[in-house]
Amino acid sequence: MPTQYDAIVIGGGHNGLVNAAYLARAGRKVLVIEKRHVLGGAAVTEEIVPGFKFSVFSYVVSLLRPEIIRDLDLPRHGLEILPLDGTFTPMPNGDYLWRVNDHSKTRREIARHSKTDAEAYDEFGKEMVRMCRFVKPILGMVPPDPTSLDPRELKKLLFLGRRFQALDHEDRYNLVQLMTMGATDFLDQWFESDVLKATMSASGIIGTFLGVRSPGTAYVLLHHYMGEIDGAFRSWGFSRGGTGAISNAIGDAAREAGAEIRTEVQVVRILVKDGRAEGVVLDTGEEVRATVVSSSLDPNLTFLKLMDSSELPGEFLEEVRRFKYRGSSGKVNLALDGLPEFKSLPGAGRHLRGAMSISPSVEYMERAYDQAKYGEFSSRPYIDMVIPSLTDPSVAPPGKHVLSCFVQYAPYKLKPGLNWDDQRDAFGDAVINTISEHAPNLKDIIIGRQVLTPLDIERSIGLTEGNIFQGELSLEQLFFLRPVAGWARYRTPIRNLYMCGSATHPGGGIMGAPGRLAALEILKDKGTR
Amino acid sequence: MAPQRDIVILGAGHNGLVTAFYLAKAGHKPLVLERRAVVGGAAVTDEFVPGFKVSTLAHSAGPLLPEIAREMQLERHGLAMIEPAVRLFALSPDGRGLLLHSNTGDSVQQISRFSKKDSVKYVEFQEALARYGGLLRQLTMLTPPDIDKPSADDLWKYLKLGRNLRNFGKKDMMRIIRWGPMAVADLASEFFETELLRAAIAARGISGAALGPWSAGSTALLLLRAAADPHPAGAAAFPRGGMGALTQAMAAAALAAGAEIRTGAEVQSITIKNGAAAGVVLVGGEEIAAKLVISNADPRRTFLKLIDPVHLAPSFVVKMRNFRANGTVGKVNLALDALPSFTALQNFSTAQALSMNDGTAALSGRIHIGPDIDYLERAFDASKYGEFSRRPYLDVMIPSILDPSVAPQGKHVMSINAQFAPYRLKQGDWNLQREALGNAVVETLTEYAPDLPGKIIDGQVITPADLEDTYGLTGGHPYHGELTLDQLFITRPLIGSSDYRAPIHGLYLCGSGTHPGNGLTGASGYNAAREILKDLR
Repeated sequence: MPTQYDAIVIGGGHNGLVNAAYLARAGRKVLVIEKRHVLGGAAVTEEIVPGFKFSVFSYVVSLLRPEIIRDLDLPRHGLEILPLDGTFTPMPNGDYLWRVNDHSKTRREIARHSKTDAEAYDEFGKEMVRMCRFVKPILGMVPPDPTSLDPRELKKLLFLGRRFQALDHEDRYNLVQLMTMGATDFLDQWFESDVLKATMSASGIIGTFLGVRSPGTAYVLLHHYMGEIDGAFRSWGFSRGGTGAISNAIGDAAREAGAEIRTEVQVVRILVKDGRAEGVVLDTGEEVRATVVSSSLDPNLTFLKLMDSSELPGEFLEEVRRFKYRGSSGKVNLALDGLPEFKSLPGAGRHLRGAMSISPSVEYMERAYDQAKYGEFSSRPYIDMVIPSLTDPSVAPPGKHVLSCFVQYAPYKLKPGLNWDDQRDAFGDAVINTISEHAPNLKDIIIGRQVLTPLDIERSIGLTEGNIFQGELSLEQLFFLRPVAGWARYRTPIRNLYMCGSATHPGGGIMGAPGRLAALEILKDKGTR
Repeated sequence: MAPQRDIVILGAGHNGLVTAFYLAKAGHKPLVLERRAVVGGAAVTDEFVPGFKVSTLAHSAGPLLPEIAREMQLERHGLAMIEPAVRLFALSPDGRGLLLHSNTGDSVQQISRFSKKDSVKYVEFQEALARYGGLLRQLTMLTPPDIDKPSADDLWKYLKLGRNLRNFGKKDMMRIIRWGPMAVADLASEFFETELLRAAIAARGISGAALGPWSAGSTALLLLRAAADPHPAGAAAFPRGGMGALTQAMAAAALAAGAEIRTGAEVQSITIKNGAAAGVVLVGGEEIAAKLVISNADPRRTFLKLIDPVHLAPSFVVKMRNFRANGTVGKVNLALDALPSFTALQNFSTAQALSMNDGTAALSGRIHIGPDIDYLERAFDASKYGEFSRRPYLDVMIPSILDPSVAPQGKHVMSINAQFAPYRLKQGDWNLQREALGNAVVETLTEYAPDLPGKIIDGQVITPADLEDTYGLTGGHPYHGELTLDQLFITRPLIGSSDYRAPIHGLYLCGSGTHPGNGLTGASGYNAAREILKDLR
């Protein structure tokens, strides 16, 4: 007789693993099914060029919830976060802007561009911390249903209302602005120097198909401020051994708690009978039964690929179909023989140990966006890059380095006549050319390169349209609207079928919150033992 | 000593006149001061070429809130509205045209020439707009609540509104919440597959704003407009004699109710004494004392130009400086020797389908130039970099077709709103670029009506700089302030100052820079009067 599981988790990405770990810790018999040979989904480390370990997709960490690190005891399972210090923004005029964690240094540096901005920067940082304090508990809560009159739901809304009322006038003003404005418009109110606004607003567009001035991007800016490492807001880091090490640590924690993990086997169907999920069918033809099926895949895959549309209510299907993915970014990973040398700040200084951002002006960012709107990749894209090998020598042979470049915009849908398989090399070249304008030696030190278009991201790790957050982080797709209004609480119209991926509240980044919250909801429904 | 006035209102724009009327009706004697020689603000008729008259700015009306039109008895005061049967004629460069009628059945028939599916969806869309628009209409008539300390009265009103929303059921409730922050391009493509129809609908979410159809929040603007007129294409009605006829009738109504209006009286500053508004000083030095001062000027002009900043909290001044009010609209008015021939009407099958004798009926509403979403977005792109669009989005009217009083016999007037024309140009100033803007507009239109250039007798180009200089609109913004999510409702103009009361005792705002700010509806002036009367009781 086949094994009966309490829960099957589809997808061994970080959220799937977190979900499995929490369920297993509660004594459930859990099976995780991952189609690839490595665990982690978008958080994987792979040796693409011999000797070089790339964090292939996701490359930095900040948002991973402290309670998950604690609950799952991740450091014991090998998680080690190394600090990523500062952001270096080279400019075409030979100057640069360099912000580091060293307070007075950053202040002096910004003052070179604008004295008033240097003053405002401190104030801004403090204000953002206050905003984060307000928003943080929301990341840890199951979204309320604002249309429900259920006292439990009303209580949650009241909780939010009270918290809002408890803010002072200025904070309320800023919060409303953050929820409604474009990133650059918001920053315009604080700062005057263009390069500072450009490079700061860049975090407002990550994973969206929006420009830095589009309303709604100020929220994404805040989302990226929410990072916290060892209690310090807005700090980002690498995981030793690449982001795959995070997934491996979570995977270990899950296994230790009793979860079973099978790789290189794919779910082809979710078994549904009389509106209830009963298990899954694997590509081997094997049927695996379980009380609960928890999908960490996005709604497109879960509902439109793994299920028959006749099994779902029409209205729900309609909403699932209109959920927006629109991947807008690509990734270029380079194996280097040495270090890039920036014209504006030569030498192997500390600036190479932080993030390097190609975001020299607001106009540059907007023009990059404009091209993408009409179906082309940006010929001069926004690039966020890191050299993890400087901080973590284990990822490259001695003396050699890894350069990991996040690139936006690379629209999933190209204009008619273009396709990504033909455009891949040109895209990679555009990225290298763009960086070379600031670091001319780059081309001479490249040993190997990996170019990932949104199509490649979709093909390799299943993210629909290559959206790194499993669905755009736009205002109409957040909180109780994520992914579908009325179904934002990890449950689905199919009984015993749950969602636990980034397509659910609070969304993407290596955060783990959806996986955890979904597990808690599943345990709530299925009783604790 | 000059006699003490009860109430002084700065600016005889339509909102100022509405406020004046309601205050006068309640027994007060407001004095309205207008800097120009004519009343009406941005809603005036101008004889721009001898014999040719045109609505200076907006050419189709809000429409006005029916209660205002009724209570002010505007028809008795000479207002005659013309309501074309055709709302919008959207033109495509391939020579086709899509007609949206006032009447749903006719619109459906026209749309089905493009797509059967869209003609069905159109009815669904219209019904949704009517439902949500009706609810939002209630919202536009309410004073935004004070989020710092909402009053019991606020709570009651909003609970009532919430109950009405709840009556819609869960699906509609969620939809309204989801739609607000959406890009109008997404909304249009959720419903329609015909690009021309998508663009015609989406235009309503960007008109007058610094938004492109892909900008998040543009759907909120469309909904705000649906609150005034739920027709998917928007209003096409206009007063006989041009928009000035509307404000003339309003002025007459205000006068009849007991208000006093002085033109050619420009306010130089608002006098503040002991922390309270005490009157105004006119250019030339005349002082007028008053207990209450109501400003129909835009918020930036009111707080940054007319008031000594020592009377305002520094943080308020900073926020007001950040209030975004840079306009994106230019206006081109043409005097025509005869109607131009639009390609879409020469196309026999189209003309036949339109079942018209001479085609003028199709041109009698608004004509939409902006055939696809990308076209509109590209037009917007230019403005982000401080350039005007070489191929702008145009909203065109030829009022002389239904109102012969505005042009000599057989001749015509063409009124064109052109977007995007950003207030701040990267290169040169508007005096140098004025002609180029006019040329771009005429060139664009010529692609749809090739014989247009030969019919032009004369023309006028109104740039955002003119809107500021001539009409006193700071930043040249026709709505006194950008219509984005962060500047609507409780945040219009600023959080904590959205209840028409300025942070100075005895000073009020009643213009378009306050909630709802949705064009020529009179709602801002109406709501302001209600709040002021509450304080006067």
